[in-house]
Amino acid sequence: MRLPHRGLLFPTLLAAASMLAGHPVRGATPVLDAMKEELQRSVETLSKQPTPLYFLSYEVTGNRRYSVRASFGNITGSSEGENAVVDVDLRVGSPELDNTHSIRGDRLSNFPRFAYQQTPLEDPEALRSILWRRTDQQYKAAVEQLAKVKANVRVKVEEEDQAGDFSAEPAQEWLEEPLPLDFDRSPWEEKLRRYTAPFSGYGHIYSANATLSANVETRWYVNSEGSEIRTSQSYYRLMIMAYTKAEDGMELPRYESFFSFTPEGLPDDSRILETVQEMIADLQALRKAPLVDPYTGPAILSGRASGVFFHEILGHRVEGHRQKREEEGQTFKKMVNQKVLPETFSVIFDPTVRRRESMDLVGAYRYDNQGVKARRVPVIENGVLKNFLMSRTPIEGFSRSNGHGRKQAGLAAVARQSNLFVEVTRSHSREELKAMLIDRLKQEDKPFGLYFKDVQGGFTFTGRTTPNMFNVLPVMVYRIYPDGREELVRGVDLIGTPLTAFSKITAADDQFESFNGICGAESGGVPVSAVSPAVLVSQIEVQKKEKSVERLPILSPPWESP
Amino acid sequence: MKRGAICTLWMTFLLTGLPLQAQDNLLMKALRDEMGRTMERLQLEEMDRPYYVAYWVRESEGRSRTAILGGLLGRGRGSGNRSLSVELRVGDHDLDNTNFTDFGRLRSRVVREGFPVSLPLRDDYKELRRQIWLATDGAYKQAVHSLAKKRASLQNKTRVEEIPDFSREEPVEYRDEGDMASLPAEARVEETVQELSALFKGMPQVFDSRVSAGQSRVRIYFINSEGSSYIRNFSSASIQALAATQAADGTHLEDFVVARGRQWKDLPDQAELEARIRAMAERLGGLREAGFVERYNGPVLFEGQAAAELVSQILAPRLLALRPPVADNPIFGRFGSGSRNPFLEKLGSRVLPRFLSVIDDPTAGSHGEAPLLGGYEVDEEGVRSRRTTVVQRGILKTLLATRTPVSGVSNSTGNRRNARPSPSNLFLVSRNGLKQEEISRELLDLVEERGLDFGIVVRRIGSPDMRLSRERGFFFAMPGEEERPRLRPLTEAYKVFPDGREELIRKAVILGLSASSFREIAAASEALTPHHTTMRLPMMNPFSSIGFMGPPPIISLVVPSLLFEDLALRRPPGDIPRPPLLASPLSQPRVREPAGR
Repeated sequence: MRLPHRGLLFPTLLAAASMLAGHPVRGATPVLDAMKEELQRSVETLSKQPTPLYFLSYEVTGNRRYSVRASFGNITGSSEGENAVVDVDLRVGSPELDNTHSIRGDRLSNFPRFAYQQTPLEDPEALRSILWRRTDQQYKAAVEQLAKVKANVRVKVEEEDQAGDFSAEPAQEWLEEPLPLDFDRSPWEEKLRRYTAPFSGYGHIYSANATLSANVETRWYVNSEGSEIRTSQSYYRLMIMAYTKAEDGMELPRYESFFSFTPEGLPDDSRILETVQEMIADLQALRKAPLVDPYTGPAILSGRASGVFFHEILGHRVEGHRQKREEEGQTFKKMVNQKVLPETFSVIFDPTVRRRESMDLVGAYRYDNQGVKARRVPVIENGVLKNFLMSRTPIEGFSRSNGHGRKQAGLAAVARQSNLFVEVTRSHSREELKAMLIDRLKQEDKPFGLYFKDVQGGFTFTGRTTPNMFNVLPVMVYRIYPDGREELVRGVDLIGTPLTAFSKITAADDQFESFNGICGAESGGVPVSAVSPAVLVSQIEVQKKEKSVERLPILSPPWESP
Repeated sequence: MKRGAICTLWMTFLLTGLPLQAQDNLLMKALRDEMGRTMERLQLEEMDRPYYVAYWVRESEGRSRTAILGGLLGRGRGSGNRSLSVELRVGDHDLDNTNFTDFGRLRSRVVREGFPVSLPLRDDYKELRRQIWLATDGAYKQAVHSLAKKRASLQNKTRVEEIPDFSREEPVEYRDEGDMASLPAEARVEETVQELSALFKGMPQVFDSRVSAGQSRVRIYFINSEGSSYIRNFSSASIQALAATQAADGTHLEDFVVARGRQWKDLPDQAELEARIRAMAERLGGLREAGFVERYNGPVLFEGQAAAELVSQILAPRLLALRPPVADNPIFGRFGSGSRNPFLEKLGSRVLPRFLSVIDDPTAGSHGEAPLLGGYEVDEEGVRSRRTTVVQRGILKTLLATRTPVSGVSNSTGNRRNARPSPSNLFLVSRNGLKQEEISRELLDLVEERGLDFGIVVRRIGSPDMRLSRERGFFFAMPGEEERPRLRPLTEAYKVFPDGREELIRKAVILGLSASSFREIAAASEALTPHHTTMRLPMMNPFSSIGFMGPPPIISLVVPSLLFEDLALRRPPGDIPRPPLLASPLSQPRVREPAGR
């Protein structure tokens, strides 16, 4: 895939919150029953066709959502709604070679197809009817695709990775009660007005929005192997975004985001208003901050910056299917059991952890989108690469899923990240880390090092046709001088290539921070988290940030010169 | 005159609840104050000042639902929205920044332009001013940038004909005094779509179906720097049922029922809609059994809905003064040149037979008993609406125009709707129209004269907006695309034999039909059918859209039956998909399901 993997990660700071535990319940399950009936009927007929079906799954994703949006002390939108989307995974051929097999040398045919099919939920006949039409269309498409796959396998050179197309997994049964979501928008309208009102006093803040979204996602899943799953999860997210512009035209954003599984888990008004004041102060400081030129030297990445850094350089490169697709860079494919990080570092992906460092983690789930149970996956243990993130697409040496087959409704699941944890056996205090950086500055005779305090996200390219680089987009960057002074600067992005960057990671502190964000790749946007201490990187590179060439507004704000 | 922009694709998640009786004074004051400052002081050193600014604030809300087989396809509610669009011109009426495709648009997140800006829902004067100020600033910077590029790209070209960029029009002040139409209760809309869509449960021969219904209402506040201003209310309601199936050989068959009105209460009652849906299902059932016409060249009579859709899809787009823009890039410029309207060259020529005339009349409220939905008092850019004779006794007199002149049409006809020219209520009238029996006789006479076994009568044609299919896709005019608008497949057509017997045809397309074919109309009926539809035109110039883009406007057509002497009918080309491998689950024995999820 030549798709850039954009990880838009937003920092999260949370107060204490309680967790919603899922209790397996056996009650009326009309949605699952309708899905099962239609599944059975389809399997019976379609497995007897000349090109028989060998696997079928249905997933219905129901979403109930509330959202309130405010700007400069005024509501600009407030709405609620619900909908449900149907996904059908249908396979013909055999687990060794099926219609999902990558067609080599034909990018278009491997391009992700978005099939967004809405469905009613209340009416089982309506749901069945939609599943019926969808299954029929997908079966016909699968038969055609399998023929193309078989031809492609015959005419091309032998594939490097001979693993099959679909792993065997045990059937699962898990029934959570669908969560209700009773949410009153009006108190939140008032809150958001208050959160965004302070920005109103500043003529050079050109945009200041806050969005509160509350939603419950309920998923129903059945497959022809006998799995039957219903999960239900609520999400509450508050995002505040504001922009200013420097005299040279550079647009300077500042983001804050808060996430929790429960409404009580979001911070209280005074905390948020404090944050808003910080944002305003930062925006004012950023306008005056000096520009940094392209530079290479040592840097400290805060826990949040480091989380995004690991998400981009490591996370996307250990997604299993990328080790198989021949258009992928496959940075780590042949490095299993080799040392890739200092031995004090381990990296674990664990969707079963719902909370860490007093923050809820949005990348948590119980079952992935292929009905596989979520589990802890140590990817790097004591510096040594041990594992990949696996969907049900096997790769050489890794024949089973580890519960990381994920997607957005309407797309096909591939291996994706969940909650990333950077763990260290030896940590330093923040002061020690800074002292280590200053030592390096002196040794290398560098005028300054950099401290990346906050980032808005990042992206990376994992394909072969583009340089295998990553880019982390910082928002708040400081120069650290040999005398210990810190100075806010602007205008740079953190860039690099994965193996070089990895070899420069030196030490970590004991201040864990977490990010909750939405990661985008070929299977769409999925919620992910990253938890990491701050790390010292002996050498990083920064490049100039893309910059608007538009001048500041010509006229002064209307209330200053009416 | 009120009408509203109806949404067909927007149906599912339109929002409700905005207090639309907002205090317009403060909003209008904010617009006026910022406009005053803009005209007086907004200028970059050594660059042109704005000579024209217009603001639109659009407040919209709606209530709509879609259901499939009795089940609601999602729900949504909330505040409406309020957005601002800016049109700013630098240069002068003869040469300004518009009518130019600029591919190097400004890249900025702070300074927004070209897109509507969301405004506070309540009238906070300071914050309204902030948004108007920033939107105007962005529009101005884009305008001076585009004008400079346009001047540069014209430097090396000799313009064959100098057509001004913007016409001069009388300022108009208009206030719609009426109240906003009330919206139907949410439960009412839900019940309607659930009940109507549940009808299809008893019709397993229909494979796909959906029913949407709703009403939207919009209030638009407009002012421009020439002293025009208006406040208009629109409301529009519709119910539509779409159904599709396949014949035994797999042929895809699709039909629809649609009812439109200004308000929910104008729509037909449930019993009538049920009857129409059942009739549609019967038509589809008939089509499944009917045979194809492989090849037919000869006379074709279009009646009722079919005649109106034919005019709307093929002739009406040619009656618009669409100006191909100058492009800054010759490759991309083809996007614009592809949409050149051949009727631009036909002013003064005969485009219809002598007995036919075309009149656009936004001031008409009804045709006989039937209300017309395309009317208004002032058009989108504040030009007073008027009756326009477009074709008089077969001769093309003018085109329906906005303030963007084209060769031969130097002033607006008051037809700007949704940022482009569009018909309002379009009348095709015939002198000496024939009675129904006479025109049917005429068809059979032509059949006999040609020595054919049968003639063709078409009663329904698919409508571009009424489709269940998945291919919604892009709406840009690809090079050459718009040169020949294509007619949707015929959904109800018959062979008519000399003895008057009729035989249904499964599905057919008409080849080679274009606006110039209308010259060959042999006869028209005396009776006129009113018909409401939306006209979706490919976006001519996606990179220089000005004003706001909303859902396509509704046009009403009043059209006679039309007899063409010679058209080519064919079976639809392309491969036929296979019919479903399994029978519909609706044809299985039913079980009652418990409530819950």
